[in-house]
Amino acid sequence: MQDQLSALLARARADFSALHTRPEFEAAKARLVGPNGGLTTLMKQMGTVPKEQRPALGRLINEAKAQLQALFDTTLRALEDAEIAAQLGPPVDASLPSPDGGPGTHHPLTLVCEEMCRILRKVGFTVADGSEVETEFYCFDALNTPPGHPSRDVKDTFYFPDTARFGNVSRRVDGEKYLLRTHTSSVQIRTMLKHPPPVRIVSPGRTFRRDTTDATHSANFHQLECLYVDKDVTVRDLKALLDYIFASLLGPDTKTRFRPHYFGYTEPSFEVDLSARHLPKVNKEWIEIGGCGMVDPSVYEAVGYDPAAWTGYAFGMGLERLAMMLYGIDDIRYFYQNDLRFLRQFA
Amino acid sequence: MKVSLHWLKSYVALDASVDEITHAITFLGFEVEQVIRTGVPPLPSVVVGEVLTRDKHPNADKLTVCTVDVGSAGGVKTIVCGAPNHQVGDRVPVALPGAVLAGGLKIKQSRIRGQLSDGMMCSPDELGLGGGSAGQQSGLLILDGRPALGTPINDVLPPGDVVFDLEITPNRPDGLCHLGVARELAAWFRRDLVYPPVKFTGLPEDSPERRDLLAGVSVESDEDCPLYTVHIITGVKIGPSPAWLQERLAAVGLRPINNVVDAGNYVMLETGQPVHAFDAKKIGGGRIVVRHARQGEKLATLDGKERVLNSRMLVIADATKPLVIAGIMGGANAEVDDTTTDLALEVAYFKPAGIRWTSRKLGLTTDSSYRYERGVDPHTLLEDAHRAIDLILETAGGRVVGPVYKVGEDRPWKNEITLTPDFVRRQLGFHIADGDMKDALEALELPLVRDEFTADGTPQWTVSIPSWRGDLDRSIDLVEEILRLYGTDRIPRSTVTAPGLLGDDDPVVIFNRQATDYLVGQHFHECVNYTLRSVTEIRQWVSDTSVQELALANPFVEDQSHLRSTLLIGLLESLKLNQSRGTGVTRLSETGRVFIESNGQIYECAAAAFIEAQTKDAGRQWLKRAPADFYTAKNRVHILASHAGVDLSALPAAPVTGPYFGWQEGHSAAVGGLQTHGFEARFGLMNLAMVRALGIEGQVMAGIFAILPGKLAAAGGPRRYQDFSHYPPVLRDLALVVDAAVLAEDVRHTLAQTAKSVVGDAFTVEQVAIFDVYQGRGLPEGKKSLAFSLVFRATDRTLTDDEVNAAFAKIQKAITADGRTSVRA
Repeated sequence: MQDQLSALLARARADFSALHTRPEFEAAKARLVGPNGGLTTLMKQMGTVPKEQRPALGRLINEAKAQLQALFDTTLRALEDAEIAAQLGPPVDASLPSPDGGPGTHHPLTLVCEEMCRILRKVGFTVADGSEVETEFYCFDALNTPPGHPSRDVKDTFYFPDTARFGNVSRRVDGEKYLLRTHTSSVQIRTMLKHPPPVRIVSPGRTFRRDTTDATHSANFHQLECLYVDKDVTVRDLKALLDYIFASLLGPDTKTRFRPHYFGYTEPSFEVDLSARHLPKVNKEWIEIGGCGMVDPSVYEAVGYDPAAWTGYAFGMGLERLAMMLYGIDDIRYFYQNDLRFLRQFA
Repeated sequence: MKVSLHWLKSYVALDASVDEITHAITFLGFEVEQVIRTGVPPLPSVVVGEVLTRDKHPNADKLTVCTVDVGSAGGVKTIVCGAPNHQVGDRVPVALPGAVLAGGLKIKQSRIRGQLSDGMMCSPDELGLGGGSAGQQSGLLILDGRPALGTPINDVLPPGDVVFDLEITPNRPDGLCHLGVARELAAWFRRDLVYPPVKFTGLPEDSPERRDLLAGVSVESDEDCPLYTVHIITGVKIGPSPAWLQERLAAVGLRPINNVVDAGNYVMLETGQPVHAFDAKKIGGGRIVVRHARQGEKLATLDGKERVLNSRMLVIADATKPLVIAGIMGGANAEVDDTTTDLALEVAYFKPAGIRWTSRKLGLTTDSSYRYERGVDPHTLLEDAHRAIDLILETAGGRVVGPVYKVGEDRPWKNEITLTPDFVRRQLGFHIADGDMKDALEALELPLVRDEFTADGTPQWTVSIPSWRGDLDRSIDLVEEILRLYGTDRIPRSTVTAPGLLGDDDPVVIFNRQATDYLVGQHFHECVNYTLRSVTEIRQWVSDTSVQELALANPFVEDQSHLRSTLLIGLLESLKLNQSRGTGVTRLSETGRVFIESNGQIYECAAAAFIEAQTKDAGRQWLKRAPADFYTAKNRVHILASHAGVDLSALPAAPVTGPYFGWQEGHSAAVGGLQTHGFEARFGLMNLAMVRALGIEGQVMAGIFAILPGKLAAAGGPRRYQDFSHYPPVLRDLALVVDAAVLAEDVRHTLAQTAKSVVGDAFTVEQVAIFDVYQGRGLPEGKKSLAFSLVFRATDRTLTDDEVNAAFAKIQKAITADGRTSVRA
């Protein structure tokens, strides 16, 4: 019996070393421990062995079983390793580039706009949107810019023919002209007409002026305007907002200053300068960045707010100008050419 | 507008530096565009000297060694000089050691090529006299008139001036003159404003009447010309105006002409009131008529051009012909010239709107029209006329004779604003003492005429507003005045307070952001293109009907005349630019507004679009990838729509044909419609021939999703959880043979409906999905096979094979019942 076991083990070792596939393995395993397998057959002979020999024989069989199991395990592991190796193929060359391209890029105007909106959302502004086609009322009349005002001139503003019909741009006054908005302040008017105070919105978007396109001018450009109307909003609050915005954007030691100015829709009005130390390609101490002021009472009258009860501020700036300042871009036309070598620099 | 510091100083004693004055003007609210220095700045240690000897430098060909006598300023000096033009005996400016020249050069004793040099002789340029490089070449400034040796050069040469080029805001026409700017500076520096002395205060009683010179003045349009005055001055002698007057005009860029014209211009630059002098003898018929021009009437203006007028334009005419385009420019026919002896001096008020209209129409802007457009002060008109008379009499002689013509209203001015200091503090949000406010108002010539207390005991002020401050009408306007003078740099710092208001970002903003983020995540490069496109592009890529609807009334340039109705034209243009520059870009995207024509109206829509180019070069990769195809584009558009809350898969995709041009038939599709759904989607292959015609290489897969903003706002809604089955699914595959022309989705839809009706409530058909499409060998001609996987599941038990098999058999029987569909064996 002991010899038989030894022979069986030796044969098993030889057989298993030649195995390559799982079916072969299963078949070889069955030949040993299956119902009719060699070991099974030997174990069945236990009954025929004299009683006193049984413990020793049992030990031998158990040893043989353990050895076989170890053989099965090693063989199986080797088979699995071979299978995985076959699945993997040769190792990769990690230095080769991916053919999948990317990354995509957000346009710098989007980046600057999003950054401004993010900064403003933190202090309670929500982002408003409105139509690019507007009417005279929302773009001018409601903003204390009466007929005959120079900025309404056909030389400066794009108008549509009287026959133009816009299905989803509402008119306030019958027969008033459609035009391309010259600022996003029209969004403020529409918002105030729709919502009672308080309102706190930022309205970024495309605006249009009938202007020659050159390195610093574009007939099509983007603005961002903030409006806050509430009880007891003051000039000091406006200054605090501007300080907060530009400290957030450019670092805590950035300063702003107000220069008195004139806009029809704010009183008092200011132009905002920014300390320019952190900006590339600027050789000045201060750089003009936008206009602001306290909402003029005439605007409240136009939208049905009580000027005695509410005060508020508005601030507006050009996004191209901001992006040009932040990144040191010196030609506004690059924003509209979409040259990949330009777009890639801001991702 | 240019103002001269020298001139300003005749009304206010300014001792501040130019930088301080620039700062003051800026923070008073007028932009300083440029600071121009003219003449000689103060140059201590630069004196008059005389060249005593002039010898060639032993070690340099182009230099001379001179001895120069500077008299009391230091005796005889040895100076090495590089200039070519000086001779022995010339008197020249000499900069002694310690002097700082106009360009900042510091003079010290030095050795030049071994020779001691104890100062420097100066060129005009080095003194700051301008002349640029030409001055440098011509050498030293040789002084005329042999001024005394040692005299400081500033005593010899004309004094320097500083000219500020200002941008005056449209609300402040009072700032368009030296007195106006001086008034502001006087307020800022708290100095007195000194008005020019007045001699003529009205026609003396005993003056003769000279109706022979001017018999009458009539104003036919008092709407456009509410006030018109004429004074007659006789016996003037035309000649050049005095040097001081010429210098002042020249300093601010006006060319001196003659004493009368110059006096008029001077008054305009001093007070802001335009003044016009006629040669009285040239006024035909002895009458001045202020009237509208006759349609087509012509006038040769002083700039040598013939102007064709129309009936909306106002002219000053004589009995027969126009003489002046009112408030804008005079005609050559009544010009004051060397022979003029009698003047009709017009000082008038014309309404801004009429002047603006005429000026624009004629393309003619003058110093006069610019001031009238912005508004002159009619209430100081006579005083300004008197000032002009003083200057004319002073520079051209003559006397004023009667009658004085004054046509129109001269209503007295009165405007008062009541203000409480608390109101000011409430608007500003910080404390300014009552005294500081009063001080600011009074400095600006806004006197407090009453200082009272209201019923509740708070102070209340009544402020008198002078006639030149028509921009001040409400108490808020005075808040600005107080803050200007108090100083915007004194607004205290504070933090932002943010109330928690309800509301969220606009749905269009959210959609744009999500669409862009998705596309950028798919390796697209976000573009921004112009909204305005050319008519050719709209006709080619959109439709003929849209051409009319999308047109601007007043385009500025030809290729930007129409609104875009798709983002794709711009993206193709960007692709073309990138291809021509060899940047290798293939994927471009954009979000933004488009304008879509529907049922004769234009609808402004939010849109997101992308293009993806398949070029040969793009395939040159060491590892090949399958190129994007129609279904890639379809998937991307479906995902874009999902960001708008729209499920496109629920809608049929129709082949793109008809009015929406630009797509390749048979390889593109449209879903939705603006009228029916409030959105529309297009995707697939862009028209190959059109893309090639643009000069773009390769094929372009594209997609666009456009939606009405209102529809976007309505999308979405509350989400509700639905329970799902915990039991395993049972799968069955089924291949159906149908006509090749039948749409796969139609077959799938029918199969799904059939399966559902067969199964009924017994369990659920969870999915009917296409997993294979086959056409070719083994199938009859004109047929195709569509293979579907069906997933069945019950909510309450594990399904048995038997019940699923029974249902599956019934489904096959039902789906083939139409005779056109068969089960593929």
